[in-house]
Amino acid sequence: MTDNVAIHTQGLTKHYGKVEALVDLNLDIIPGEIFGFLGPNGAGKTTAIRTLMDEIRPTSGSATIIGRDTHTDSVEIRKHIGYIPGDLSMYPNLTGRDTLTYFSNLRGGVDWNFVDALAERLEADLSRKVGDLSTGNRQKVGIIQAFMNKPQVFMMDEPSSGLDPLVQREFQGMMKEAVDDGATVFLSSHTLSEVQRVADRVGIIRTGHLVAVEGVQELRSKAIRRVDLYFDGPADGAVFKPINGVRDAEVRNHHVSLSFDGSMEELLNVATSNYTLVDINTQEADLEEIFLTYYREEA
Amino acid sequence: MLANVFTKTTLDRWKPPLIAAVSLAALLFFGMAVYRGIDVSFWDELPEAFRSVFGIPDGADAGSLAYGAIYAGYGMLTMGAVALAGGAVSIAGEEKNGTIGLLLGNPVSRTTMAVSKGAALAAVTAGAFIILWLTAFATPVLLDVETGAMDINALIVMMFVNALFYGFFAFALSGWTGKSALAGGVTAGIMVISFIAVGLLPLVDSLAGLAKFFPWYYFSSNEPVLNGIDWGHFAVLGVGAAVFFTAGVVGVNRRDLRSQSVGTKMIDRLRANPMTHKVAEMLAGSARVSKIWIKTASEHQALLYVIVPLMFLMSVMIGPMFSMLDDTLKSLGEQFPETLLALFGGGDMSTPEGFYQIEMFGMMVPISLFVVTIVIGTAALAGEEKNNTMGLLLANPVRRSTVVLQKTWTMIVYAVIVALASFFGVAGGSLLGNLGMDIGNIAATCALATLLGLAFGGLALALGAATGRTQIASYGAVGVAVVSFIINGFLPLNDSTAAWAKVSPFYYYLSSDPLLTGMDWGHAAILGGLFVILVATAVVLFQRRDLRQNG
Repeated sequence: MTDNVAIHTQGLTKHYGKVEALVDLNLDIIPGEIFGFLGPNGAGKTTAIRTLMDEIRPTSGSATIIGRDTHTDSVEIRKHIGYIPGDLSMYPNLTGRDTLTYFSNLRGGVDWNFVDALAERLEADLSRKVGDLSTGNRQKVGIIQAFMNKPQVFMMDEPSSGLDPLVQREFQGMMKEAVDDGATVFLSSHTLSEVQRVADRVGIIRTGHLVAVEGVQELRSKAIRRVDLYFDGPADGAVFKPINGVRDAEVRNHHVSLSFDGSMEELLNVATSNYTLVDINTQEADLEEIFLTYYREEA
Repeated sequence: MLANVFTKTTLDRWKPPLIAAVSLAALLFFGMAVYRGIDVSFWDELPEAFRSVFGIPDGADAGSLAYGAIYAGYGMLTMGAVALAGGAVSIAGEEKNGTIGLLLGNPVSRTTMAVSKGAALAAVTAGAFIILWLTAFATPVLLDVETGAMDINALIVMMFVNALFYGFFAFALSGWTGKSALAGGVTAGIMVISFIAVGLLPLVDSLAGLAKFFPWYYFSSNEPVLNGIDWGHFAVLGVGAAVFFTAGVVGVNRRDLRSQSVGTKMIDRLRANPMTHKVAEMLAGSARVSKIWIKTASEHQALLYVIVPLMFLMSVMIGPMFSMLDDTLKSLGEQFPETLLALFGGGDMSTPEGFYQIEMFGMMVPISLFVVTIVIGTAALAGEEKNNTMGLLLANPVRRSTVVLQKTWTMIVYAVIVALASFFGVAGGSLLGNLGMDIGNIAATCALATLLGLAFGGLALALGAATGRTQIASYGAVGVAVVSFIINGFLPLNDSTAAWAKVSPFYYYLSSDPLLTGMDWGHAAILGGLFVILVATAVVLFQRRDLRQNG
């Protein structure tokens, strides 16, 4: 079933010798969604993207993008893809405009008014040589080359690297507009705030294995909360750990901090029956906390 | 000196000297085995100046010939090139890689850093010469060749100090400018000119004294393998190396460190100037990125700026020079046995065709073509992967085969341009010297040279396609070229091995005497076929493998 999906992978696996960089990746990403691909360094995010881009070939399994095989139809697919590789490198002796001209000649169908609009929006200086640009300004040229032919699918590997917060916001706006126009974004990142802000769904990858795929809202509505309890005397974490739903309880003298998705009544009962509760503070966990929780659980 | 900077630099740089030393050691064994089976008395009849360039003493035997031709000749040029390449990147390489700031962000003075790197250069060079020294003693024992009173220690010591001279000259330029390409290019130019000058100037009595102004004189003129170390010459080279080492250390202390910034070139200034903008845009603007092959050509244009005028001028000058030296050369030519001339591409020095063959087509034309084709062949695939730009390039709707073929097209265009420069130079030289050489035969020789250059460029391309590693592509192609050249030069000296020369691509370049007989279409087809096969292999290998990612 690949007709109604933008990106489909089936058992996609990549080994480097004995190292399992990517193991049995099964994913369906639908058109018009931003899919956040989260994981720490070395988890297999870049391997997955490079395999989808046909830079490297899977050890087993297969993948399609817009219904076409990523290996046999790779040239056709690349007419419809905007790509920002991780650790972006370009030709240092070319100006930004020369670089974009080079790629536009290979792709065709680039509207230079649109390119100029993107450059203005990102405040990118296209007249300077790429080799003379700072990391962030070089990244802007990379972003423009990915967007300039209005692709159907964006493959982005840590695209916000080096961008200042204002440009990050602008870039996130560009992604949302592209999706509103029907594009699909595969966004690999470990910048959780960005994924939380723009993604519809999130896949979490760990040591090459996809450990979870959920909607951002679903993840956040799992009712995992950060709860801080303050007592009038020293507390013992062992008292709280048996409570159903308590994760990673940390104790700092009078203060107990925990991630919690169980019964608040049970938690308060235990807290008040053992100690004198002075104060309580509770807030919704953000994606970072959920992400870290997944990692602690899997570890 | 800082031990860890020294150690890291040594570990980074030990491979090229080791590969060069092991290759030369193998060649020494091979050469001595060949010389052992032939009558080598003809060397005694050679001109004194010629023998001195190659460090070949009177009464030479198989041992001294092998040491002279392989160690003091090709070997010294090879080890000099390896040392100067190491010197050129010692300091400037860190700047080019953008790592010098990080290194000097530690409590390390520039002096300490430069001294450590200079010491590492000396250490890896010394290591390579220890291999050459051990082989020099072991080979005659293994082959049961009598080496008599030859002073192998003196030869190795003088080669070592000569290599340090050029290594630290490049080190000094690297320290003063921060530009590795400039440091390597200038030093290589000086070394090659010096080698040629010391070989040619003694042929003319009135010019013989000028040889002393070229540093190679202080290595070769005393024939160290026969006469031992001339301590005066040793001092010139040794003190020179020490002065250049010091200059490099002082130089890096006196200037701003370079960043990875690519700098502003003349063409950039012209593009920025409203008066010249349009013309500059045509030369360096959107036109140069219109196609993959044109962009590739644009990246390598500096090669042409150096090689085309050099080849043209050298080729033109040799015609009038032949006219002036006509009588001298005729008498010299009579002294050269054919078997020996085969080592330099063959030819009768008393005829213009033979003189051009020895002076230009034997080594200079193939080397200039190899520089162009192997550089482009290496950078084509392995270079893009090393720079991490191949992924972005292939994110566009272009086939991998298209990338290979477009870059191959650049290689062909550049090889033809260099060959044309040689063609017009030789044709012009023939005209200026009134030599009456056949234009068609000159064209045929240049065409065969082009195909030979493309064959080795194709090898670099195929090795890059197979591995994605620039070092394997470039060293592999250069190594095979050197071995092929020597096979073609040495094997015909011995009747029992002569037929094996046909395994060398060089055989199909000059063995038919194209300057005299015109095009040998069979040989052209073999070289052309080899090139096509290597490019096809590159296409297949590149399509099948994973792209490398550096960093």
